[in-house]
Amino acid sequence: MAGAERLTAAGQVTGRMGDGSADPLLPGLRVPGNRVSRRAIGYWTARAVLNALILVAIESAVIRSAAPAGWWVLVAITALAGALHALIMPRWRFSVHRWEVTSEALYTRSGWFSVHWRIAPVSRIQTIDSHRSLGERIFGLANVTATTASAAGPVRIHGLDRGTADVLLDQLAVVTGQLPGDAT
Amino acid sequence: MTGPAGLPLSPDSGQEPPAAAGTEPAAAGPVLAAAGPTPAAPPGQQPVPQPGGDDWQRLSPRSLAVRPVTDLIRLLPFLLGVLYLHGRGGHGSYLGLGFAAFAIAASVVRWLTTRYRITAERVYLRRGLLNQKVLSVARDRVRTVDLSAHLLYRMLGLRRVAIGTGRNDRREGESFRLDALTLADAQALRALLLTAVAPPAVTAQPVTAQPVTARPVATQPVAAKQVGAQAVAASAAAASPAPAATTGGGEGAAVQARPLAGIPPVPLLPGQVSSPVAASQAAAMAGEVELARLHLAWIRFAPLTLTGLVILGVLFGFAVQFNDAAHVGASAAGAVHRLSVTVGSRPAGLRIGIGAAAVLVAMVLLSTAGYVALFWGFRLVRQQDGALRTRRGLLSTRETTIDSTRLRGVELSEPLALRCAGGARCIAITTGLRVGRGAEHGGSLLLPPAPRATALAVAADVLGVALQPRLAAALAADPLVPHGRLAMRRRYTRALTAAALVVAALTAGGLDAGWPAWSWLSSLALLPLAALLAADRYRGLGHRLAGGRLVTCTGSLVRRRSVLATEGIIGWRIHQSWFQRRQGLVTLTATTAAGRQRYEVRDIPHALALSVASTATPDLVRPFLRQ
Repeated sequence: MAGAERLTAAGQVTGRMGDGSADPLLPGLRVPGNRVSRRAIGYWTARAVLNALILVAIESAVIRSAAPAGWWVLVAITALAGALHALIMPRWRFSVHRWEVTSEALYTRSGWFSVHWRIAPVSRIQTIDSHRSLGERIFGLANVTATTASAAGPVRIHGLDRGTADVLLDQLAVVTGQLPGDAT
Repeated sequence: MTGPAGLPLSPDSGQEPPAAAGTEPAAAGPVLAAAGPTPAAPPGQQPVPQPGGDDWQRLSPRSLAVRPVTDLIRLLPFLLGVLYLHGRGGHGSYLGLGFAAFAIAASVVRWLTTRYRITAERVYLRRGLLNQKVLSVARDRVRTVDLSAHLLYRMLGLRRVAIGTGRNDRREGESFRLDALTLADAQALRALLLTAVAPPAVTAQPVTAQPVTARPVATQPVAAKQVGAQAVAASAAAASPAPAATTGGGEGAAVQARPLAGIPPVPLLPGQVSSPVAASQAAAMAGEVELARLHLAWIRFAPLTLTGLVILGVLFGFAVQFNDAAHVGASAAGAVHRLSVTVGSRPAGLRIGIGAAAVLVAMVLLSTAGYVALFWGFRLVRQQDGALRTRRGLLSTRETTIDSTRLRGVELSEPLALRCAGGARCIAITTGLRVGRGAEHGGSLLLPPAPRATALAVAADVLGVALQPRLAAALAADPLVPHGRLAMRRRYTRALTAAALVVAALTAGGLDAGWPAWSWLSSLALLPLAALLAADRYRGLGHRLAGGRLVTCTGSLVRRRSVLATEGIIGWRIHQSWFQRRQGLVTLTATTAAGRQRYEVRDIPHALALSVASTATPDLVRPFLRQ
């Protein structure tokens, strides 16, 4: 945290600050201020459908060539589970994914069935970058990844719309650039 | 390059007193200016780097004598296969010569293309012929310096130097290694890198009984080899007396490394000092405190770790590879064939018994041999400046120095078998050295498998530098805050569910395939075993926050208790699965740049988790708590 207080404006970098309401998933924490882009629902749905289709295709190919006909039940189950996943997961995920960036820390909530909260001090961020996969580009989305000196995993904010991601990237780059030290 | 401990190095612009090659540098002269980049520098003595100009250093030319050999040894299974195949046609010797020539050429190219350079701020490493690569790291980011040597290097007085920088060494091919330097150069380099930018707060810590200055070192005439180290000591002495002894310690290690096994620390009076070597040795001895050394009785713990199994696996893999590559056909060869026929003719139960007994015996022998080879002469000392230094190894030696400013805590690890026998290991949690298996990861070991009391004492000693001794001991040994009934229920649910699934699968499979009933009925024994495991896992589960240290403990098969300094925590993760949510539990993970990179407090009630996180790092967590 050394050096965080050097920043003159303690407060929001970009996006909104949480209104202080309790996190229904974990009372005691407050909800991060910002939702991700609503287009992310479409992206996650498309991805889930695509994955389910690939799985069904592989299973069908294997069963057609090698296994007895009774195994087609498995394909039906996979298709059903895939459809349910594609219907439920994106909306559930959208309701969970939140983020907030202050001049001192990144705070995110992500997941759906299991939920992760991450808090990473801005003073310990080493690299900050944005990545757009083909699918994300089609939906006009981007994710922002902040790595710290710990190999325990970067902090990712998925499903931001492009404009927000660019602003966030620029501002975080400025903020992290101002802090001295080797971030360990 | 700040602080009184900083060496009076010239900045990169480079203005320094001229020093002819091979002559003694002035007592307060810059460390790196002992010899210019003169090509006429005598072999064996490297031109010491000079901040500024073209001062790239080469590795020791002596390593040229070794690298081809080690490269060939590494390729041995493949080579033998090729030679065996082609040997019949009479081309074997040419091929062998070809490989040897290639290995020699490769080492010469490697030697010619690998250079390093040390400036006031950064260390550079340049290597590669076609894909040239320059690695660089700021000197204040050097966390550890690790000297190791296998038998051939030891005979030639060479050391491999691995510089731990925390970030670079994580990616393959970006590790900062110099393979190899002469012993004196390696030690000088270590002393330089670890002392030059050490903050004064640490060097000033009164960790030893008698403060010693190494001034005599600087004034004595010295052998050319020790120029570097001496210059370090000298310049450091000129800057401030405290780190001078430190450097002496770093160098004195060199001296003891040869006769080794630790000479009793006899304080020598300056008048008694007959040689500079003795002087630096005395300085080193007086300045350091021995925290632990290997006792022969500890070897009894060797078979209780998985080391034997790992060695066995590696040997087996090697044998199979050799067998395939060389087309030896071991399964058809006399002794092996007879053995497999003899054993194969016995009933199944006996066969399994014989196999298990053979593996067990091999494991015990190998793990004992491995323990002796790895940890022979093990010694853990705290240097004058507070840095920890371990030295170990029978044939290959390894010396690791851990800067105290990089130390974030300690971990006690107790595999089940070791725990039952009353043993434990102790590992440093430090940035720059990652914890895990393998040669690159072993540097953070503070104590090999040893009696638990010794491990606790070492942990308390290491923690005790910054804490009250009683608190340090309590953090290492005392019971922790348990996580409650729900966490206990979760342990049982998980263990029993997994066991029940295995039993169900075996039963279904057994009934389907018509196995004898005892084979799947005996799997029912898994259920009580799972219950025992769950009970033990709950006993091991806990956390504590005291004295700015977060203590976490988990596990049964391998129980790990970690004591992590909260200032080393660089972020938090809270994870809650759907099942945990119903029980109000979370897994709180502190992320850090040290050791395992993450330390988990598993299945802790969520309110407790938030209070732990916000107490450990209030500035970070408070803004996100509900007001």
